[in-house]
Amino acid sequence: MRIAVEELDVTLSGRTVVSGVHLVAEDGEIAGLIGPNGSGKSTVLRTVYRYLRPHAGRVLVGDADIRSLTAAETARRVAALPQERGSDFELSVRAVVAMGRTPYKRAFAGEDRADADIVATALAGVGMAGAGARRFSTLSGGERQRVLLARALAQDPKVLVLDEPTNHLDVRHQVELLALLREQRRTTLLSLHDLNAAASLCDRLHVLHEGAVVASGTPREVLTPALLAEVFGVRAAVVEHPLTGDPLIAFDHRGVADAAADAGARVGSPAGPPGEPAAPPRTPVLKRRTG
Amino acid sequence: MTALTAAAEGREREPGVRARWAAAVLGAALVAALVASVCLGSSDVPPGDVWSAVARGVSGQDPVPGTQDLIVWQLRVPRALLAAVVGAGLGLVGTAVQALVRNPLADPYLLGISSGASLGAVAAIVLGAGAGGALGLGLSSAAFAGALASFALVWAMARRGGGFSPLRLVLSGVGIGQFLSGFTHYLVLQAGDDQQTHGVLFWLMGSLGGAQWATLTLPVVAVALGLVALLARARALDALLMGDETAAGLGVDVVRLRRELFVVTSVLTGVLVSVSGAIGFVGLMVPHVCRMVVGGDHRRLLPVAALFGAVLLVVVDLVARTALPDQELPVGVVTALIGAPTLLYLLDRRLERGQG
Repeated sequence: MRIAVEELDVTLSGRTVVSGVHLVAEDGEIAGLIGPNGSGKSTVLRTVYRYLRPHAGRVLVGDADIRSLTAAETARRVAALPQERGSDFELSVRAVVAMGRTPYKRAFAGEDRADADIVATALAGVGMAGAGARRFSTLSGGERQRVLLARALAQDPKVLVLDEPTNHLDVRHQVELLALLREQRRTTLLSLHDLNAAASLCDRLHVLHEGAVVASGTPREVLTPALLAEVFGVRAAVVEHPLTGDPLIAFDHRGVADAAADAGARVGSPAGPPGEPAAPPRTPVLKRRTG
Repeated sequence: MTALTAAAEGREREPGVRARWAAAVLGAALVAALVASVCLGSSDVPPGDVWSAVARGVSGQDPVPGTQDLIVWQLRVPRALLAAVVGAGLGLVGTAVQALVRNPLADPYLLGISSGASLGAVAAIVLGAGAGGALGLGLSSAAFAGALASFALVWAMARRGGGFSPLRLVLSGVGIGQFLSGFTHYLVLQAGDDQQTHGVLFWLMGSLGGAQWATLTLPVVAVALGLVALLARARALDALLMGDETAAGLGVDVVRLRRELFVVTSVLTGVLVSVSGAIGFVGLMVPHVCRMVVGGDHRRLLPVAALFGAVLLVVVDLVARTALPDQELPVGVVTALIGAPTLLYLLDRRLERGQG
């Protein structure tokens, strides 16, 4: 199911944090939200899963404005994985995943056979089938994220929304989690810190800068040295990944971009900065995900 | 389904089985504790006499003069029942407040309600006509009025900024609680005589000595309604443990839930403190111990916490009445002396098993 954010303004205690944001994840697409710290990524996502109320604009899931749905109806369509990592209240892994059934249950309703099956399937789907009885707080960071993803899957959502799901994970666990997301083949909107991960995972990227979307398109269209200098303030070359063929951003870790002058010069220069291989311009096409 | 997944599922269902066992064991323990509490005391009553006294009382006949019917039916039975109800209520409120402020160290008195109740009660003892330490109806009303007043103050503070965030609730509760305690201490110093001071201190440390049939109705109704109200929100409480954003993403209206929880826990605390004074430690310890046994899932935790709280306070009251000859200890003293080391032992054992 398609999800779209239209003309979104969000104000927090009188300050406009996000304004005029327009973004979309078409049905079955993985759309990434990238941008520097404080650019408004989390704020946009929080509005999508209704933790924050938009000041103006709307969020559409399919054809429905989420404000026209009840909170539970929204939660049956959109499952969120915020940055919260839970606290120690002796919850078992299974109990955490079973929370995903909350929007389907009325007060006092117990868990039925169907719920139990959905929870078991979700746990198996993230490779944690045998871990149901373990205490959530004793899991490693990577295991926790997989269990929280299972909770989101138990919500049986049309759209997944994830805020920095790979934060604090080591490389292997990052790769595993992103592979799980690819496997889902579900409409997904997520924010990512790691631009190379975003380039490899996402069909579409939206770049946020100071509360506004400054670029949207395929990773290849969006991730240019000029944009990286302007938005992120770094010097980088964009090359082809030798193993996967995805765009690969090679950062210059020796110094930040001399933003204004450099960026201006580079936008006009087709060759890019010195050292960048002069790749022939390609027609941007949406990657087909291969599972 | 393969044998492997069936086995895994059997393990995963374990908390439900444990909760049922815990409920059954605690139910039996509650009956035993109530019987013991009625039989034992400054003068022991044989179970046979207790039975006949209770039978007469239930059927509405007058007690037989010259027997212990009066002690049993007018003093011990209501007192044991009050202990059970207050214990159950403290277990419930403790569980709910810990979820409300997402902190396993929270207790029912954190939100400042008990300070208001204590101030009301102490004011009634020191300034009012109901002096003399008798925990009568006048005292209860004063305590409940104090609880409502502090509730209004904390509410007004906590809602500023629109959030009812855990931090705001705790800061407002602690701040206003300290402010009201200042008044209480001032009043204690103004107490006219030793008798008054003694009554005040006994109240502040918790006592079930005021139990009468008439004073039972309100707490019974409040605890029953509180249990139902919290069970109706059990799933939302679970979600709240994971964080406000997670709860919102699961379709929970977090601000409304916090508001409702604050009302439920405040009213319940106000009622409990008004009939028994501020009995410490039960509300902190009971949810902890119960979580260790049945896990954090509120549909199981709430009933088990209520039962365990009831058993605990009946036993504690029995100890408070019988530990020292010719002297009754405040219940709060016994809960702290028994409860604190127990909790520390359990936590320590847990750390050693590497599950901390």
